[in-house]
Amino acid sequence: MDRSKVKRRGSSIGPNQPEPKLQKEININAVVVDNGAYSIKVGLSTEAHPTLVPNCIMKAKAERKRLFIGDQINECRDCSGLYFLLPCERGYITKWDVQKPIWDYIFSKKVCPIDEYPVVITQPLFNFNSIQDCMDEIFFEEYEVSSMFRLNPTDLAYLKYARDHNLPKTTPCIIIDTGFSFTHIIPYINGNKYLNAIRRLNVGGKLLTNHLKDIISYRQYNVMEETYVINQVKEDTCYVAQDVKKELTIAAKSGIENNIVRNYVLPDFNNIRRGYILENNSDTKENEENCQILRLNNERFVVPEILFHPSDIGMKSMGIAEAVVKSILCCPKQYQEDLSKNIVVIGGNCNFKGFKERMMAELRSLLPHLWDVKLYQPEDPITYSWDGGKSLLKMTDFKSCLVTKEEYEELGSMIIQQRFNSWMTDNSLVEEESQEKNQENYRYLDWLKGKTVFGKEDPIDVKDECEQEDSLLKAQTNSQDTGSHNLAENVDNVQQPAADLELKTKASLKNIENTIVKEFDQEKDQPSSNFSMQTELFPFGTGSYL
Amino acid sequence: MTISKSTLRGSNRIKENDKRRIVDETSRKRRHRKVMELLESDNYHDDPHADLVMSKKVPKFEDNLEQRTSRTKKKERTAEYYQIKYRKNFQQLVDEDRAEAEANRRVSYMDIQCEESPMPPRHFCAVCGFLAKYNCLSCGTRYCCIRCMDTHMDTRCLKWAA
Ligand SMILES: [Zn+2]
Ligand SMILES: [Zn+2]
Repeated sequence: MDRSKVKRRGSSIGPNQPEPKLQKEININAVVVDNGAYSIKVGLSTEAHPTLVPNCIMKAKAERKRLFIGDQINECRDCSGLYFLLPCERGYITKWDVQKPIWDYIFSKKVCPIDEYPVVITQPLFNFNSIQDCMDEIFFEEYEVSSMFRLNPTDLAYLKYARDHNLPKTTPCIIIDTGFSFTHIIPYINGNKYLNAIRRLNVGGKLLTNHLKDIISYRQYNVMEETYVINQVKEDTCYVAQDVKKELTIAAKSGIENNIVRNYVLPDFNNIRRGYILENNSDTKENEENCQILRLNNERFVVPEILFHPSDIGMKSMGIAEAVVKSILCCPKQYQEDLSKNIVVIGGNCNFKGFKERMMAELRSLLPHLWDVKLYQPEDPITYSWDGGKSLLKMTDFKSCLVTKEEYEELGSMIIQQRFNSWMTDNSLVEEESQEKNQENYRYLDWLKGKTVFGKEDPIDVKDECEQEDSLLKAQTNSQDTGSHNLAENVDNVQQPAADLELKTKASLKNIENTIVKEFDQEKDQPSSNFSMQTELFPFGTGSYL
Repeated sequence: MTISKSTLRGSNRIKENDKRRIVDETSRKRRHRKVMELLESDNYHDDPHADLVMSKKVPKFEDNLEQRTSRTKKKERTAEYYQIKYRKNFQQLVDEDRAEAEANRRVSYMDIQCEESPMPPRHFCAVCGFLAKYNCLSCGTRYCCIRCMDTHMDTRCLKWAA
């Protein structure tokens, strides 16, 4: 469609599409923007693929006369020590002086002008009110868009999955979106997000890259300033192990037996612009002689492991597969089995080799054996949500969902935000008897007992079992931090180590349930009441920064 | 690109071990929080253009842009306008969200955070990344062998405890 033809200022119905006659599907065209914290996927819905623009502004050491917005970084000769201005904090836009110029660039003629098209833009789950206010002001008042719609990227992924697989609204799905800032697990029941069972894991690609940077800096070179380069190292070399113990054994070997170790040629931004794996571990070509070689061994798989075991770096959180299982079991019973048949995983972290297989293996082992488990990972997990924009535009009632500029002016931000926020969201299910939920938790823990922590089937020896008990006690102790009212009960348990594991399990789960371990609550330094029991609280040093 | 090989010394410090200070739980927590914050940070170094701020040479975003659209520019606002009007840090946003969610009895940002795993944690050596059996008496960091312990003692142990 020729964009120049669509020019009708002040049109109240948005783009002037011919009225649908006998077609069942109305096809509206729109500018679809999947506004990720790492990359923005943008394009007209008529286009086959979106344009990917990094959602950041970069400053280079060597070029002091300019800033690089998004993909302009390709014009930068020397990308060493790049300084990043990121608009988002934990996935939410907080730096408008960064986001606005990036949008200005994206909606300029250089990338994708809005013209008179409606705008469909994504926002993270529970996007905060004042962020939405600002988005409204920018799009309606400054960009003067004719109409707009905002929704979560997982909504789009759900719509695409349901449409592509001809699923009726009644088929529940669970969408896992593992991106730059975090990982969301969102069940859709009867076409709506089931809020009670949604989970967020605070592990994303950013944390993984920063962790890799940290361990390389400790073990080999100081690369703390090389986020840009190390992110590429991560993308080029890291993978998800199927059996971590086995992988570690191989990585500990030397010579030809170790097929994990890789030598990576770091870019010098002179001859080599992008780093790469040295094909033959020993030979170096002439132009590689003066280059720095990074040796990657267990780093290759230990880093993505954090997604599956955040406790590896001392984070008190379930891993991604556990959280999916937990989420499914928090849904009403009649949907659980169907949910496990429609698990969709999207987001950049899916691109780790072995991710899908490991995910499948863990889900299979954690969910009841009689259930059918199906995991779908699209060919391009990064653009899947953007593609979902096309599915959205084909919905028969979508046109009425769009909020026009006139509506914004008449009703104001608050009303239209309610429209966005309540879309595909079922609040009625939230108020539910928590009794059933607790029951599920006990069942869940029963399954977990005896599950291996290293990915593959792995008989648990006596020592492991002791450790498990220990950790349960620890969990109990930890949750005591926030309130010491049942300290006596806790001490009681400690004094009777022979007490039934089941009992302890229930007690500790109850505590976890009550406190929903909140990182921000833990920020407040509270003197620990029973220090001696917590000596191993943070056993793993992610390494402090020297 | 300037990268220097980091120095990993390996002198034996076992005898000193007994004399070493033991870091209390509060400090360990503080340190862990600091590590987690750093894992969320955008940059480790300072703005390379920081010295340009006071001069007129500061590159402007606008310099990179052609005129955006054919529309009238009367409503165009600077990025700073939005930053000032909507300036809220993340913690403020979370607090507001929580208060509003409580009032409306809806699920909030904080409610959906993953619970702790009931599975036991695994332990990796902070130095070499392999499985670790031991932990440092002073700070609790895990290590796998005497060599790694030495490295830990010489480099990171207690350095952060100040
Ligand atoms: Zn070691
Ligand atoms: Zn130590």
